[in-house]
Amino acid sequence: MRRIDGELILFWTLPVVALIWISAFFLFPGFVHPMSPTMSAEEVAAFYRENVSRVRYSMILFNWFAVGLIPILMLLAVQMRRMAHRTPIFSYSILASAACGPALFLLADMFWLLAAWRPARAPELTQMFNDLAWVTFATLVPYLIAQCVLLAVAIYWDRQPRPVFAPWVAHFNLLVAAALVPAAFTGLALEGPMAWNGLLPFWVKNIAIAVWIVVMGVVIGQTIRRQRLEDLEDKVAA
Amino acid sequence: MSAATTETVAPRESPSGSPLHRFVWHCRHNPKRELWFAWWAMVTFYNLFVVSFFVLARAQPPPSPAVDAQGAAQWFTDNHYGVLVGMGIIFLVIGLLIAPTNALIAYSMRRMSVSRSFAYSYLAMYALSAIPGMLLLCIVLTVGAMRPDRDPELIYWLYDLAFLSFTGTMGVFLIGSLVWMVAILLDKNRVFPKWFAYLNLANALTEVVVAPAWIFKNHVFGWNGLIAWWIDMVVFGIYTGVFIMLLRKMIEREDFGTGPLPGPLPGPLQELAPSKEHDPSELTRTAP
Amino acid sequence: MTNIAGAGSAPDEVDGRSVATDTKDGDKPAKFVPGQPDMWAFVLFETLLFTSYWVVYLIFRTQNHELFLQSQADLDLRIGVFNTIVLLSSSWSVARCVQASREGRFRAALTNAFLTIFFGFVFLVSKMFEWIKEIQMGNTFTTNEFFQHYYFLTSIHFLHVLIGFVVMGVVVYQLWSPARRSQQLVETGATYWHTVDFLWVPIFALLYVVR
Repeated sequence: MRRIDGELILFWTLPVVALIWISAFFLFPGFVHPMSPTMSAEEVAAFYRENVSRVRYSMILFNWFAVGLIPILMLLAVQMRRMAHRTPIFSYSILASAACGPALFLLADMFWLLAAWRPARAPELTQMFNDLAWVTFATLVPYLIAQCVLLAVAIYWDRQPRPVFAPWVAHFNLLVAAALVPAAFTGLALEGPMAWNGLLPFWVKNIAIAVWIVVMGVVIGQTIRRQRLEDLEDKVAA
Repeated sequence: MSAATTETVAPRESPSGSPLHRFVWHCRHNPKRELWFAWWAMVTFYNLFVVSFFVLARAQPPPSPAVDAQGAAQWFTDNHYGVLVGMGIIFLVIGLLIAPTNALIAYSMRRMSVSRSFAYSYLAMYALSAIPGMLLLCIVLTVGAMRPDRDPELIYWLYDLAFLSFTGTMGVFLIGSLVWMVAILLDKNRVFPKWFAYLNLANALTEVVVAPAWIFKNHVFGWNGLIAWWIDMVVFGIYTGVFIMLLRKMIEREDFGTGPLPGPLPGPLQELAPSKEHDPSELTRTAP
Repeated sequence: MTNIAGAGSAPDEVDGRSVATDTKDGDKPAKFVPGQPDMWAFVLFETLLFTSYWVVYLIFRTQNHELFLQSQADLDLRIGVFNTIVLLSSSWSVARCVQASREGRFRAALTNAFLTIFFGFVFLVSKMFEWIKEIQMGNTFTTNEFFQHYYFLTSIHFLHVLIGFVVMGVVVYQLWSPARRSQQLVETGATYWHTVDFLWVPIFALLYVVR
């Protein structure tokens, strides 16, 4: 009998974490109107001087809850073990990539905090920390792409009478992965739709991630509930 | 090892026909498709790594640590597009390709007769290794290349951070190789030949040999030096080629059981290997 | 598989090594590689690797002849000779250990194994003593090119000796209890230890003697 105690608690952390992230997102003054890579060093330094508190508090909040998505990813990994696979290759792969996305996000978070640490620093240095933060944030897509594609392939190869996830979940994940692809190349442009504040690496990427969190959250919730019903049926039948 | 186990593994004949037709058939019906998926991800990763790092970005072989700030800035100017595109490719694929690679190697340890903690240790270590050991270089080189008019002193600092972090992330690969080595030496399921365990030791030692790169900026021990880079890369290249081949053989021999893997041990030493595992009782017969 | 005296046909002696025929299950005669052949593959690999380090050393030596000669004068030849004698003695004791184990004299084998470890320990202590002496004379890892190579070669060899202790630990563990004894593992361990000695000789020659 699978041990399922506590799964619902972990599951319901998701909306709480999401709420905190959204608050922090709006608190950080550089997101709602994303900072442009073409800002000069003086402009960047001025930004950090004027918004020092908002930067610090929003980034501290992000720092606390950066790894908040991992329990949901682990619920996903546990569901993958229920799939009709011969090997644990997919759950191992998800394990291997789940920690890395948040780790990179933490790195970006720390670079932002560093940029705001000594506002009187030489503007070129502040600009460099700002660059490091934004590039890290924009390019942390590899592990998200990995999770989406691995989940999609795992679902396609889950051939059993009652598959764990429906096929549309796989298609959806591939779509999200495709939406994240352009962000990998954001270094190539300092302005326009490919810059780190542009349409593709910022808006499309972040909206895709948000949609993924919402959709997968609902899917995992439904799956857990259905699984408990099935377990109950089996127990009654036995 | 019995015919019964192999039957369940290969119930149908693979088809002939066009490569695409065969590929689709394997995706649908090959019982080992998950393992092959992971293996091909691994092969693709190493190929893309060579293309991105060696050809496009020319970050390997690394440029010299003995340059000054102007020299570092010059390197970024010379390789501007190569760096941005090459690193972009890595940002795109590294998660998708490296996670199954580590999963496959962890799986090889899970197939052994040793505790699963070996597999999990390796998985944890190598999963985290990509961040300080590769992605940091990618991020930092991207930041260095994207603003060519940055102060050369700052570019100099980014240059150092990139190449030192890449070459100088040692512990993960050191301890990880030793974990794999011990697992292989203790394994009774004949997943890998023992000489591969010793090759893991040689690979672990390259992480010791590279340590002087944190001290020297020229001659043989700089991060691009004859000993700290070139000879180490030869060992690493041999090691990587060998384990790619050995993992392939493992997948071919896999019977999804928990006992010894059937079939001959891969490698040239099989006829020298003893015909049976050593029998501890052989010595007790003659004990005084 | 190498045969233990009394368990089958008597082993023949060829070049000091036992050539045994395995008659237990009618196999074809085993190849006469003592210990795991895998260890020999590793020995070959490490030897090639060390050879590349020595070649690099020699290349830089010919480019900096004066500097190397001058720096070598700071090394004490006596310590080098002492190190060599100690390691050769340890090889002798590990060979006796293997011989004793083959003949079933396990107390003697264990004694020789411990003797080997002791010699190894003496080597390590004398090496550290030499390094301290050199550092006190002002010759550190970063002093000049010769000393870069000196510390590198002796350190990487030192590390192999440390690994040798782990290997000898396995050998002792095998010999200790009748339930575990594996002649193959004992010989494999001995092969490794001989390699440690064998790799030292060119290092000694290059660093201390060739002037």
